[in-house]
This record gives sequence, structure tokens and C-alpha cells, in this order.
Amino acid sequence: MKQIKIVTLIALAMFVSSCEKTFLSPELTSGFNSESFYKTEAEIEAAVVNMYDGIQGVNALKITGSTLNHGVQIEFYLTEMRSDNTRTKSSEGEAAQFESYTVESTNGIVADYYRSYYNIIYRANTILENLDAASASAKAKFEAEAKFVRAYAYFNLVRLFGDVPLVDKVISPLDKETAFTRVAKSTIYNLIVTDLQFAKDNLDDTYKDRASKAGAEGILAKVFLTLGRYGEAQSLCESIMNPSRGFSLQNNFKDIFYNEGNSEVIYSVGYLAGVNNDSQNFSAEWLNSVGRGSGVNYVTADARTAIDAMGGNRKLFSYREDQGQAGQYQVVKYLPNGDTNLGIPVTSSDPTSAGNDWIVLRYADVLLMHVEAILAGGASTTSSNAINSFKQVRMRAGINTPVTSITKMDLLNERRVELAFENQRLFDLVRFGEAQNILGAFSTANGLGFSSTDLLLPIPQVEIGLSNGKLSQNPGY
Amino acid sequence: MNFKSKIVLLVVMLMNITLFAQEDYTIKGVVTSQVDSSPLPGVSVVIKNTTTGTSTDFDGNYTIRVKRGNVLIFSFLGYETKSITVTNQKTLNVVLSEDSNVLDEVVVVGYGTQKKSHLTGAISKVKNEKLDQIAVSRVDDALVGQVSGVNIQATEGEAGSAPTIRIRGTGSITGDSSPLIVVDGIVVDSDFLGSLDMNDVDSFEILKDAASSAIYGSRGGNGVILITTKVGVEGKTKYSFSSYTGYKTARQSDSYYFTVAETAKAELAANGVLSDRTKYKQLLGVDNNWQNIIFNGGAITNQSFSARGGNKKLKFSTALNYLHDEGVLLTDDYKKYSLKLQADYKVNKKLTVGVSVSPSYTNKRRFDGSTHDILRQPSWLPLYLDANTIRFVNRLRDGGKYANAKIGDYAIQRMFDDYDLVNGVPVASGGTDISNTSNTNPAAKVLERNRREFRKKLFGSLYAKYKVADGINFKTSFSGDYQQTRGSRYQGVLSSRNGASASRLDSTMRKSFHLASDNVLTYSRTINQHEINAVLGFSAERTRVEYESIQGSVFKDDSSPFISSAASITNQNQYEYVNTLMSYFTRVNYAYDNKYLASFSFRRDGSSVFGPNTKYGNFMAVSAGWNLEKEDFLVDNQYINKLKLRVSYGVTGNNAFRTGNPLVDNYPYLAILDNTKTGVSGGNSALVVNPLNIANPDLTWERQIEFNPGIDFGFFNNRISGSIDYYTRTSDQLLLYNPISSTTGFTNALVNLGEVENKGIEVEFRTKNINIKGFKWSSTLIASKNKNTLTDFADSNGQIQNVDSKRAAEWINLQGNPISSFYGWVVDKEIPLEYISNPYHPIGANAQDVYVRDLNGDGLIDDDDKTILGNPYPDLVWSITNDFKINNFDISFMFQGSFGAEVRNMGDQYIFNQFNSAQDFISTTPNQQFIKQKIFTNSIIQDASYIALRNVNIGFNFTKDMLSKLKFSKARLYVSAQNLMYLTAKGYTGFNPESINTTSSTTYGYQRAGSPVFSTISMGVNIEF
Repeated sequence: MKQIKIVTLIALAMFVSSCEKTFLSPELTSGFNSESFYKTEAEIEAAVVNMYDGIQGVNALKITGSTLNHGVQIEFYLTEMRSDNTRTKSSEGEAAQFESYTVESTNGIVADYYRSYYNIIYRANTILENLDAASASAKAKFEAEAKFVRAYAYFNLVRLFGDVPLVDKVISPLDKETAFTRVAKSTIYNLIVTDLQFAKDNLDDTYKDRASKAGAEGILAKVFLTLGRYGEAQSLCESIMNPSRGFSLQNNFKDIFYNEGNSEVIYSVGYLAGVNNDSQNFSAEWLNSVGRGSGVNYVTADARTAIDAMGGNRKLFSYREDQGQAGQYQVVKYLPNGDTNLGIPVTSSDPTSAGNDWIVLRYADVLLMHVEAILAGGASTTSSNAINSFKQVRMRAGINTPVTSITKMDLLNERRVELAFENQRLFDLVRFGEAQNILGAFSTANGLGFSSTDLLLPIPQVEIGLSNGKLSQNPGY
Repeated sequence: MNFKSKIVLLVVMLMNITLFAQEDYTIKGVVTSQVDSSPLPGVSVVIKNTTTGTSTDFDGNYTIRVKRGNVLIFSFLGYETKSITVTNQKTLNVVLSEDSNVLDEVVVVGYGTQKKSHLTGAISKVKNEKLDQIAVSRVDDALVGQVSGVNIQATEGEAGSAPTIRIRGTGSITGDSSPLIVVDGIVVDSDFLGSLDMNDVDSFEILKDAASSAIYGSRGGNGVILITTKVGVEGKTKYSFSSYTGYKTARQSDSYYFTVAETAKAELAANGVLSDRTKYKQLLGVDNNWQNIIFNGGAITNQSFSARGGNKKLKFSTALNYLHDEGVLLTDDYKKYSLKLQADYKVNKKLTVGVSVSPSYTNKRRFDGSTHDILRQPSWLPLYLDANTIRFVNRLRDGGKYANAKIGDYAIQRMFDDYDLVNGVPVASGGTDISNTSNTNPAAKVLERNRREFRKKLFGSLYAKYKVADGINFKTSFSGDYQQTRGSRYQGVLSSRNGASASRLDSTMRKSFHLASDNVLTYSRTINQHEINAVLGFSAERTRVEYESIQGSVFKDDSSPFISSAASITNQNQYEYVNTLMSYFTRVNYAYDNKYLASFSFRRDGSSVFGPNTKYGNFMAVSAGWNLEKEDFLVDNQYINKLKLRVSYGVTGNNAFRTGNPLVDNYPYLAILDNTKTGVSGGNSALVVNPLNIANPDLTWERQIEFNPGIDFGFFNNRISGSIDYYTRTSDQLLLYNPISSTTGFTNALVNLGEVENKGIEVEFRTKNINIKGFKWSSTLIASKNKNTLTDFADSNGQIQNVDSKRAAEWINLQGNPISSFYGWVVDKEIPLEYISNPYHPIGANAQDVYVRDLNGDGLIDDDDKTILGNPYPDLVWSITNDFKINNFDISFMFQGSFGAEVRNMGDQYIFNQFNSAQDFISTTPNQQFIKQKIFTNSIIQDASYIALRNVNIGFNFTKDMLSKLKFSKARLYVSAQNLMYLTAKGYTGFNPESINTTSSTTYGYQRAGSPVFSTISMGVNIEF
């Protein structure tokens, strides 16, 4: 009896120790983990698409959560609503801080954008560190896409926040030095330029909703314009303008926005209607009682005056009166539920789950950048090349008045009406050096609180709070 | 069997033979207590060396068939056992004297039991005497105020929702600071308390110090609650039935109720005239109290039936329970059905086996809204449109959105905008606006949603206990727990202002399988004055969880709320994970002469949660005690009956944390890629993988190190007894889902970081004030004081966070202060009403902004002027219970309270904010640089102290005559009430100072209106036959 007991105990102990290791290390059976992933080109490609998914952001009307990234979907708050183009309908909530130039460092939308764009940078850096499994050609292409995305994100961050932390690899949470050190804009621009140059050299024009050669050239051109490197900008624009590249203006202004993937689009963020994960809600937010009901990105009187005066036939497809509320005006670009009067089809049966792609860069922008590059910071130009590009844009808008010279202000105004509500206006004003004058006057006329420090957004308070005094705030906040 | 015992057996058998010859007869008598001559019910009366026995009834009476020469043994817990030989008495009245060692009951400890006099750790025991008469839907709700050092807070007020339980403060600062729950020796998840029937509970033992809980190692870090259920006892089968029905009403906040009439009065007094808006509101003729509509009260009813009994070989216990709690919120409803079957079978002298099965089913409908929504609703808003209010509906506005409004529809604020007061008609534009939100009707948001949770649970266990040799026992048990929870959440077309496009159905299914094997060898031996108890064990546990969900969106109408009727499937998810734990443990208890006590325990845990480098944790504890009253110099002292000094030191751990993603929670050493989403590539949907977390292969056990000296005492024949404990508990290597810079690509990362100290004193003080025949009065005072300090937070020291980016009020985690401290500006003074634009709209005379103090005097308000504004941890939690027994009546009442905690009551923001960032003060307001929103100040940091009359219970126990007529052995009628009185601190404006939203432990104390305190009045009956 005693022996049996001892044998049983020993057997039990052996059994236990032998299966202990397996018992305590159950396999992850659902989902993947990064150590065993990125082993094929298809797997790396899934990570590449994930970068664009980051820019695409989460549809806040469909998926809710306090730390979700909304990506480009909330960009209009930080750009158009801080310019003279748009405002909230009823001055409600933190959204109204932008138009009144009273943005606080605790503003959740600002924190969301900062978080979103660093998350996009993280996604790009992750790809750059996991390219081993790709063939040489695929590797160069994936690397170029990652660098394009990273540069695009930094270009927006540096223009909105000024000096920002420079994260060019995957960093650990312990690397607070990198996370909380603001690096001079010039250094950030060096990375942007290097990345975009690599991207344009290694990409072709296959995609419109992913990085392309033209996309890299176009954004790099805008970077060069911002840096005053006009010659380089001009040749990049001309590269895109080469007819062999296949980019052209749409005949009808409307078609730019309601004919996805058209020849004018160079780089856009893709959305799919009715798919929670891949739809957008900004189209609905811009309307009354379809989105949150409070109405954001409503058109200012100032913008209406400009479009009425200089928009030509673009006016019809730029803004309209709110059918629900007289005296309020909505953006017509990207309407999800159509407009029968304007012949705009319904693009998304559920407007809060819209499929309208967001255009980041289009050919008209390149043509006007071409003009800007030739103008090269001067007061005006009579260059026929510049006039030719300028006229193309104006003729499509039905404006055939002869142009003999283009002043800086002509160009700025043309960009305003052509690219209205496309998140360009604020950056244009700053790049043209007119932000202080124009927004100052706009603010005074409308009783708003603009001052020069409002041209940069605050570094989100949450980052400052976590940095324990290391991260400095922009002046004025 | 040795020679000696054989002889004994032979003698006994011979005696039986001799006795057999004699005639038997009935003897009867009354057993009373020596202390107050009151009858003692439930005294066991057994004929020595036989299994024949009975017990006294409620009046202390017994009758039993005996033979002359039999020895009757009278025993009763807390009294000295008495043996009396039957001569030929017909009546035998017995007086039992209290055991001088009255506290020497047996206490359940981890993997065993121990004499209370031999305990060296801090363990509190709560017997279920009247706990089952408290009309609450969960057993843990009934424990409020019963034990020192345990703070049970109804942080969510929904029927059936789990309270927050903290033993000795918040140690861990991760998502999980809840104690471990062990039912009849088997570790269960805390959820188990939701399906347990209080009528089936015999006692609770709460292991508070690390020395007591270290045997549970990594699971014991937040304390342990051991629950013992009732078992069958030998003898006639006892049936018991209990039932109660109660009514619940919510406590409302007067501060949040503003009537149109009051506002008009105030406005008239201030301005002499009424604004158009006020005039219009009066015209509508509605003055709703939305709290009345949403806090609609409810009934609670409970029926339990049990049967317990057995013989020498087989004992059984069954219990059946039904509970229905309607909750106090609109739509809130909870039903529970449970059954328990338990049997123990003694196979032979050495082997006992047992089985227990408890199936249960709960069906819960949740209040699918948030109480903060009510606060946004003005009293002029009707619930439904009626013949009067429909006249004001604007059919022109908002693109004719309300053109088809009819009587009986939900009223929506925007329907009433743009009313032309002069002509008395709604107009397309330019009229008077009174809405302050475009949200739909707040009741529609609740009534038009249907959120249900159906849970089936089957818990079963088997054990075999084998007596290896004298004093050596081996017990092996195997238990399993299967849970299936189906969730269904339908948000109807009318539940949102966005109508059909926002309608959706979420359907979820979660299945969990938990298996555990425990194998314990126990050894106990007494050699002269040495008493040794030892435990050696091995246990293994495995939990497997499977989850599936599907979401359908856009329903045409509410007629078919099924997934097949959704316009599209908008989300699907599926995952599974396994979690395992394997442990070795031992404990040795030693007592010398019942005076000197020592205990040592050790446990080694291996957990699947941690990576290969950090899989194992070792947890050790030592403790010692000294029973002074047994020493020569005290043994004859009449006044000191008990005096024990004890001290313990131990290390426990914690491996639980919540990041919000169950896969990350179970595989934190891996960087998990989310593959459930899609992206767009070339205009088509494409697969994406997105990193969910930052892998931490070095993540390891959080530790709690606790030192606990204590004293137990009993004076004056134990008329005064109690205990005092002091403890310091240091938690380090905190498992923390800490916020990190978003430049990393993430907002949080799992780390082991920092150190928190909880220091406190606990007092339990019990007195028997009056103890005479027919009248007894006893009191219990329980108080716990705890201080929480963050002692080390490495380079995260001073980190500041918020929980809602739209209402970004801040918390700071600063060394030398409590873990979570409210942070912000200090209110200087209110903005005078004359500078407020629209002071009487939407509600009366409150600004959303306030002047704050320039603390550093630099003339501007910035981050440097922020300071710590308070913390959410109570300094003192207490209860005082008085029990009276007057003949057949008994009355008890408990006052319970908490002192010193604060909450950040965001409710104020929802009611007083004007939802307009064009500031609510006018441009000529002086010193605008000192004005900040109230939410960033101590204006909404409110004192959460309270005093509640937690329980009142008045009962009548049937007299013997009544019982014999009814053929019951016991019967009791009672009335019980909870929270009849509930006082909150001055300045607290909300519904419930105990209500706290779920946030991380570093941002604790956020109250987003919360759910209301409620009072319950119930009547019940307990019958035993």
C-alpha cells in the first residue's frame, strides 16, 4: 500500500513537471503577433495598407471610444475652421475654439490629431523595420510608401505645431528623451525632403489612394514652396504636368468630388460607403441634422463673398444654403446624400457612413503650385508658363478673362476659391506670408480673438502633463 | 486499528448489549444559558457513543428517547459542553455556561480551517445571521459595513451590477484591485457572487493581511473572501423557506431640479421682466422632473427554498432560489434563478467523496443610457407630445424634420425652436429658440434601446478525501465552471436623433470554461503541548474564453429587431484565449500550549500571463501570536477573558490587469496585431494588420508586502470584545497600464512601475450591553482608517492625465500624495450674475466659468497655478450596529458611513454648462484672464462623505405555541429597510456620492452623474420545518 502511494506520487510529480511548460505557455490562437508576422510580402503589404488606414481614421459616428484616432477626418477643424473659410453653425463646444481663436491646450480634437499623426508615423516606422522578407524590388516600393506616409504626416505636424518630436524609428515608452524633445522645424523638414525624394524615386503612378510617384513629387513641391526652394518645386510640378503622366483637370468642377479616382486626383484617402471600419463621417458632420446636428465647417460670409466674386462656375459646387436653416451655408464638396438640384448623386445610403474619398492632392493644386514656384516669392509674374497653368484652372471654372500678369494676391485668391474647404487655406495664408494680415483683419471684422500665436496650435496638454516639464508649450497657450 | 482502540470498541459493544436489555422512555427538558437564563435554541443533544440525537427548539426545549444509564451530551457553540448520565429523570433541565474560550470557534482559512484562538493573521468572519434578509440582488451588496478594512461601494446602481470591493484600500493601481473569491475552497471569478444565493451562504471569512492570503500567492494581493455554503447535517431533513418583497425608490438630487416656475420667479425678481424664452417656456405649460421619469423605482422579490439533511453515510444540501430586482432606473431589470445540489458520501472510514453542482441563470436588462443625459433636459420639455404641446411643434424648421409630428410622439427640444411669441405660431426662422441640445428625448434614449444580458452558468465540483494515516489527510478536488453569456443590445430607430441610420444591433456571445484541480495533503498532530498543522498542495487552473460578436446597422423600423433585418453587417469579431496558473504551496502552523503561535507559508505560482523570463512568482509569509490570557499571570483573572497579540509579515502578488483588450491582457509579452479591420487599397477593401500594444516580455508580478501587528481582546466575561489591527501594505512593481507619449504610436503601455503604500488601522469592537432574560442589547462598532500614498513613481512622477478629452479635468500622480489626486485650479469667486449672458437660460443663474486664484501671483493663470484639489479615497469608513432582542422580537439597525473622500462630479458640468464656447460671460467682464471653466477647478470636486442608515431589521420569531400549531420548527416575520436615511456632505450636488465611473486607478474618482442611491423597504418571512 505504502509503495503504491509513493509510486503514484512520483508518477504524478513527473507528469506535472513534464507538462508544466506547455501548460503555462498556451499558444495565441486568434490573431497574429509581430514576431511571427511580416514574413511574406503579403503580410508586409497588410501593414502597408494599415498606414493608409491610419490616415483614414475612425468614423466617430460608427465606432466610439475615447482614444481612437480619427486621422484626416478631423483635419478640417485644425485647418479650415482656423482660417477665414469656415466656422461652427452654433458656436457649440470645443469645436468652436478654432474659429474664435481660443484654442486651449486641453482641446481634445487637437490631441486627437497629434496622436493620430504620430500613430501614422509609428505605422510607417514599423514597416521600415520589418522589410526583410520582401524581395529587393518590393522592398524598395514598400520603403518608399512608408517614407511617403511618414513625410506627409510630418509635413502636417510641423505646419500645425511648429517644432515637434522627431521619431524616425519605433521607440520604446522609456525613450522619453525622443518623445518629449521638440526638434527644430528645419531638422524635421530635412527628414521630410529625404523621405519624399526616396519615395518619388522608387514609386510609380499605380495608385491614387496610396503613395505614388506623382503624390510624392506634388507634396515635395509643396514642401519646397514652404521652404522657399522654388526652382526644385517648379521642376517637380512640371514632372507631374508632363502629359505622359496622364493627369488632367476634370471638365466639370463637380466631377472632381463625385467621380472617385478621376484623372485630376493625385493622392486621396480612400473610403468605402457603409463599411464602419472604412467609412468617414466628416461629410455628415458638415451637414445639419445628419451628423451631430450642431453643424461644423459651415461657410463664413467672408468665404462666400470670395467665391461669389472669383469662383465662376465653382460657386455652385462649393457651398449652398442649409435647407434646414435659412441664413446658414454648407460645403457642397463631398456631400454624402447628394443634392438633386445640383445633380449630385447620393454616394452613401447612410450619410453617417460615407464613402467619399478625401482628396489630399489634385492636379489643379499642382498647376497653381507651378504658378507659385515661378512667382518664387515675388509680387507678380508675367511668365507665360505661369499664366498658362493659371489659365487652365480658371478656364475650367468658366472664367475666360485674359490674364497678363499674376500677382501674389491673385494666386492666393485663386487657390482660395479653387481649393476652398480642402484644408489648404490656412497653410496657403501662412506660406504666402499673409496669415497675419488677412486673419487679423478677418478676426477684427468678426469680433474674434486672433493673434499671431494662433498660427501654431498648442502642444496637447496631455503630452505636456506626461512629460513632467520637459516638453515646452508654444507661446500664447 | 491498534489494540487499545479494539478494546474500547469491545467495551462499547458490551455496554450496548447490556443497555439493550433496558426499557427506553422519553425524557424532556429545557436548556438555558447561565448568563441570562434565556433558553438556548439549537443546542445539540446526543446520546453518547450513538448517532441518536436531537436539538433544542426555539425555546430551548428538547425531547429524546433514552434508556437509563445513557449519557446525554449537550453541546452548543460558544458554551461549555455538558455530559449528564440519565438515571430515571423524566425531565432534565440543563444550564450551559459560556465557554471561557468563547472566541475559539473554527475559522476557515486558505486550504483548511484553524481554531480562531490560533490565528495569527487578520481574518474577519461574518456569519450569515440576517444577511439574507437584506433586500439586495447580490451577496456582496449585503456585506456593506459588516467587516472592518473592507470598503464595499455601490459604484454602479443598476440592479445586479457588482459593487466595488476594496480590502485595505487600493493597492494595485491597475484595472483590478478586487479581492479573490473562494467558494467552499474553490477559486471562482468575482462574477460568481452575482449568481450565489445568500440563503445558501453560511459564513464569509475575509483574509485581510498578506500572511493570511499569501497561501493564495499571486491571487491574494487584494485580499481574499472565503465563502462557505451551508451543508447538510446528520439528522432529520430540515426544510426551509424564505421569501421577501421590497420596494425601492431612488434618492433624487434637489440641486439638479430646476422648475420653469422657479426660474421665472428668480428672473422676475432680478430684472422685473421675463425674457422671451421664459415666457415661451411658461406657455408650454410643462414642468417635468426628469429624475422622476428616469428614476422610476422598482420592486425586489426573492424566494428561496432549501432542504438539508442526511445520515451517517450520506449528507445532502439543496437550495433553490429566485430573485427579481426591478432596479430603480427606467428599464433596469434583473432576474436570477439558481439551484444548488450538494452531497457528501462517506465510503468508508478512510474515504469520503462529495459532489456539488450549481446551475444558475440570470437575465438582466440594463439601463442603456447615462444619468448625465437627464441633466441636460430642461423641465419645460414634455415626455410625449400632447394636445397642448403639439401646437408649438415647429414643422418648418430643420428641413421639415418634424413636419409629421403627432400626439404621442416623443418630444424633442429642437421641435420647439423658432416660435413667434407675438403671433403665437412657429416660424421658419427668427423666432424664440429654447433648445440647448439637438439630442432626442432622454426617455426615448432609454426606452427605445433594449440591452440584455443572458447568462447561463454551471458550476460543479467533485472531491475525494482520503485519510492516509492518523492526522494525515489527502484531498483532491476537481472543479469546473462553464459560463455562457449572451449579450444583445438593440438601439432602436427612435433612440437617436439620427433615426434609422443610427439604429443598430450588437449581438455577443462569450463562453468561458474554467477547470481547476486542487490537491492538498494536510497533517495535524498534537504531541504533548505541541500542536502542528501543515498543508502541502499543488493546484492547476485553466480558463479558456471564446468570444464572438456581430453588429448589424440601419433598421427600417423597430418591428424586427433581429440581425437578419439589418441593412448591413457592420462589424464582426471573434477571439479566444487561454489563461493558466500552476501553483505549489505549503503552510505550517505551530502552537505551543495554546499560548505561543507561529505560522509560515510559501507559494510558488506560474502564470501563463507572463513571458518565459518572468513566469514564476514566489510568495512567502510568517506570523506569530501570543495568547496572553493563558499565561499564569492572567489565567485566573476574571476580567480578562482573552488577550492575544499577533504580528504578521507577508508577500502576495497580483497578475491581473485590464488594458481593454483581452488578448493583450493574456499575452502581454507579445505584440499583438489586430487583424479584424480592413483598409482601402486601389478603391477596394484590403486586409490590414494593426499593432495593438507594445510587447513587454519583462512584465512581471506586482507585489504587496504587508506588515500587520494586531490585538484581540475579550473583557468582563467577554461582554466587551474585539480586535485592533494596524497595517502597512506596500505595493511595488505595480502592474500599470500607464499613459505614455502618443509619439510612440500608443497612448498606454503595460509596465511594472512605482510603489504605493496603504497604511491603516482597523477596529472591531463588540459589546453586550444588556443581557437579561427577555431583553438583550448588543452593539458593534467597526471602523477602518486608511491612508494611501504614492511613494515612488520613477520618471512618471507628476504625470497628469484626463479621462475625457472633451472635459479634460486632470488627475496627477505625484509622489507623497494619494495615487490618484484631483488636479486643477482653485476657485476664487463666482462671476457676478450681471456679467453672465443669458443667466436664466437654459437653467437658472449658474455660470459655467469662475474666477480662479493666481497661486503664484504672476498675474496670469497657467499650469503653474494648478494644485492638488483632493482625492477619491475615504479616510475613515465606519459602521455602528445595534441589536436588540425583546422576547420574541428583535430589532437591529446599522448606521454606516464614509468620511474624507472626494469625487469629481461632472454632473454639474452637464447641467450648468451652456454648451457654448463663445464664453458665457459678456465681453465687459473684468479680469477675464483669471476666468476658467469650472470643470478645471475644485468647483466640481465635492465631498463624498455620507452617513447612511444602511439597514434596519425588525423581526418577530413565532412562539412555541404558534410553531407547534403550524408544525414549523422555526418561523420569523420581518420588515427590513435599507438606506432609510442617507445624508450627504454639504456641497455635494449629485445623486450618489458612492457612484464612481470605471476609469483607471490613476484617474479614480470620476462621477459622470452616476446612478442614484436608493432606499428599499421590504417584508419577509423565514420558515423552517
